[in-house]
Amino acid sequence: MDFMEMSLLVYLLGTVTLVWPKKAELGAHYFGMLCSIVASGMVVFSSLNYLLSSGSRWLIDLSWGQYSLQADGWSGAFLLLTGVAGVIISIYALDYGKGYLGSRIRALGGLWNLFLLSIVLVLISGDAFTFIVSWEIMALVSFMLVNHESEKKKTLSAAYQYMVMTHIGTAAIMVAFYLVGSSADSFSFADMARNSLYGYMRNAAFVFAFAGFALKSGLMPLHIWLPNAHPAAPSHVSALMSGVMLKVALYGFGRFAFQFIGMDVFWYGLIVMIMGLVSAFLGVLYATMEVDMKRILAYSSVENMGIIFSAFGCGMVLYSMNFPMLSVVAFTAALVHAFSHSLMKGLLFMSAGCVMHATGSKNIEHMGGLAKKMPYTALFTLIGCMALSSMPFTSGLVGEWLTLQSFITLAQQAGSPEMRLLVVFAFIMLGLTGATALGCFVRMYGIAFLGRARTHIVEKAHEMPFFMLAGLGLEAVLIVLVGVMPDLLVNLMQKVVSGTGITPMGNPLGIMWGGSGYYALYSPALIFIVFALIGVFVVASIYGSATFQAKEVTWNCGTVPTSRQQYSATGFSKPLRRAFDGILNPKRRTTYLRKEHAYFGRKLHYELSIPDLFNDKLYKPLQQMLINSSSSFHRIQEGSVSIYIGYTMVAMIVVLIWGVLL
Amino acid sequence: MDYLVVFLVLVVFLQTRVTDLKRAVVCLASQSVIIAIACFVIGFSHGNDIHAVMPGVLTLIVKVIFIPGAVYRLVQKLKNEREIVSASNVNYSTMAAALFLVMGYALVERLMPGAAGRDIVASSILMIMTGLSLMVLRKRAIIQICGLITLENGIYLLGLLMTEGLPLVVELGVFLDVLIAVVVLVILTSRMRLSFMTTDTSVMKKLKG
Repeated sequence: MDFMEMSLLVYLLGTVTLVWPKKAELGAHYFGMLCSIVASGMVVFSSLNYLLSSGSRWLIDLSWGQYSLQADGWSGAFLLLTGVAGVIISIYALDYGKGYLGSRIRALGGLWNLFLLSIVLVLISGDAFTFIVSWEIMALVSFMLVNHESEKKKTLSAAYQYMVMTHIGTAAIMVAFYLVGSSADSFSFADMARNSLYGYMRNAAFVFAFAGFALKSGLMPLHIWLPNAHPAAPSHVSALMSGVMLKVALYGFGRFAFQFIGMDVFWYGLIVMIMGLVSAFLGVLYATMEVDMKRILAYSSVENMGIIFSAFGCGMVLYSMNFPMLSVVAFTAALVHAFSHSLMKGLLFMSAGCVMHATGSKNIEHMGGLAKKMPYTALFTLIGCMALSSMPFTSGLVGEWLTLQSFITLAQQAGSPEMRLLVVFAFIMLGLTGATALGCFVRMYGIAFLGRARTHIVEKAHEMPFFMLAGLGLEAVLIVLVGVMPDLLVNLMQKVVSGTGITPMGNPLGIMWGGSGYYALYSPALIFIVFALIGVFVVASIYGSATFQAKEVTWNCGTVPTSRQQYSATGFSKPLRRAFDGILNPKRRTTYLRKEHAYFGRKLHYELSIPDLFNDKLYKPLQQMLINSSSSFHRIQEGSVSIYIGYTMVAMIVVLIWGVLL
Repeated sequence: MDYLVVFLVLVVFLQTRVTDLKRAVVCLASQSVIIAIACFVIGFSHGNDIHAVMPGVLTLIVKVIFIPGAVYRLVQKLKNEREIVSASNVNYSTMAAALFLVMGYALVERLMPGAAGRDIVASSILMIMTGLSLMVLRKRAIIQICGLITLENGIYLLGLLMTEGLPLVVELGVFLDVLIAVVVLVILTSRMRLSFMTTDTSVMKKLKG
């Protein structure tokens, strides 16, 4: 019995907390979380085993009739990130979950284990049935976890929106599986890889698979459930959903692209790439507009999934243009960024949980100066924010840089000027995304953690208990580790997609193009040298000259500056809102509450809302259409039995007349 | 046999014109008598054993005595009940019946030109469609039950002619089916009379949520 099977059993053991006696609720919580830590640790070990042995063959092979479990390198890569996130977030949840004492904490622990179990089962399922069943369990359990605080009306509606959207996605995936499976006459993945789909049916299978998995990973315009569901869920749940569940969709799509549908059609990759780019840019743009910490992070997930999918699409395009070696770089970029995004998004959602725990609010406009109250949390959050805005020496840069590199190679290899123009445009979009992400996270960190307290809720903030900090710290250490020594991760991941392991080679100096090993794709060592040179230059220029330091009060036209005069989060994003007015369409409303005097004593109420573009332009009309069409159906469904019998009669008459005329 | 068909068509047309509930039940009983005679005729033309007698006897017991009897007893409890509808509704059902008769003959001409039992097939189509139209157009529960039995008789007659005698088990099953359906309907109608003081099915719309 290897680690994989044991981990499944331990997860199953963890669900025992669902029926734990109510008296020992805290025990149930600890038991559940310990089970998930142990089991996720085993998942990490077994996934390393899959990754280190050669990638193409099946490594576990269990089957019970129709159902089978199998894992290869591609699932190994995702099992690794699931395991790592599972261990760390469960450690964090040891303390964080205690906040739910007395409000269904047993259910939380049990469902947590079930959620991880279903994710692992999706990743190791060896046939379409197992995949769909575990996928559905994953959707239902995550729905219940999102709906955990169901007393709040907002949570309830967010959860149901998530439920509806995710089932639409599942339906699309089922259609895709059906199309592929019926052409292969079998639903096991090994047989489905030998399917005989072609032409329109293959296009349909691709479109359905992509739509289903893009919905789950929150690509625009299918993202609308995501910014509502993540803030509604408990923080460790949203960390796991954003960090892992979104990637599981990439796993599924990768399985389709690599094995079932193939990547030799040019426009498949193009669609994936363009949709990825659009959601990367729009995601980060909306993230910059939000003031709710978790909604910022949720939109940032849309952005990062967009980057991952655009890298994947770029790889598909390169493959279809017959550059398999170059496409490996892009696929590696997608995997590396998926892994590092799971690290940083896990970290930041957990830190949002810490902030909520400390202040009771998610709105960054009410915070400020948290860094003094909770220094460790602030430090780890800073590392997470740096990673998400892809600063050097963090894991965020590795994947994004590799993505950029593969776009450059695509531009070089592009066959036609139009294609080259498109890729240049893609390049610009990606750059714009990176810059906006930097602004977004400077804003989030700066407004929440720096400056002075804006409201009194910050006064009672305090440092977090040990296990929560441990969770944050572990993620931060991993982020820096991957950022400084990317070769560890890149070597693992590129073996998954290439099988041979030549092209992007990692060594301690950085990641090299294959072959000679002289040209670096990305090298933290070089960046370090540049930074060191600049540092030396700056120090040398200052050294020796007279320097002085003076501490003064900020000059404020003779008055003492108050915390209300600080940059607000809304104000910080104003230039961007102006620049992208056409896309964002912000609705501003100023209300004068009291007007006693023409100039002073006026109370203003200023309201700013950014409607979601797709919600207004796509989903509202769709919903209206659905309602209209159902009310027209209602007209023929009067509820009177004799009219129904009348329909039967009319049908009979029509059949008889048809018989007469034929 | 031809006389039977003439009587049958006459009774069915009469049924579309009847508004009094008791007369409707009498019409139904006489229709079933004609069906039973038809059963005997068809049965004896094929053989002389028990199988020839059985359908006719069953029809007599179930459709002539039991069902109309049960409905008649129910009708006696209903005071001052008439199918109070405008004459146009009655005229529509008669007109529809006429159309169905033409349609039935047209269908028989097309499907089986020159067949021996063309009149019977046409009249059974007439019965099926008229039964349906009674159920759709009329509002009284009793008349709707009559419509159901007419429909059932039509199907039975057609089946009898086409298959020249079904297996006994199937026939028993069919009769049991109708019997139970009618028992349930009679019970429901009497409950309805208790609750709504009427058997007009249009009041049932109030129950809709």
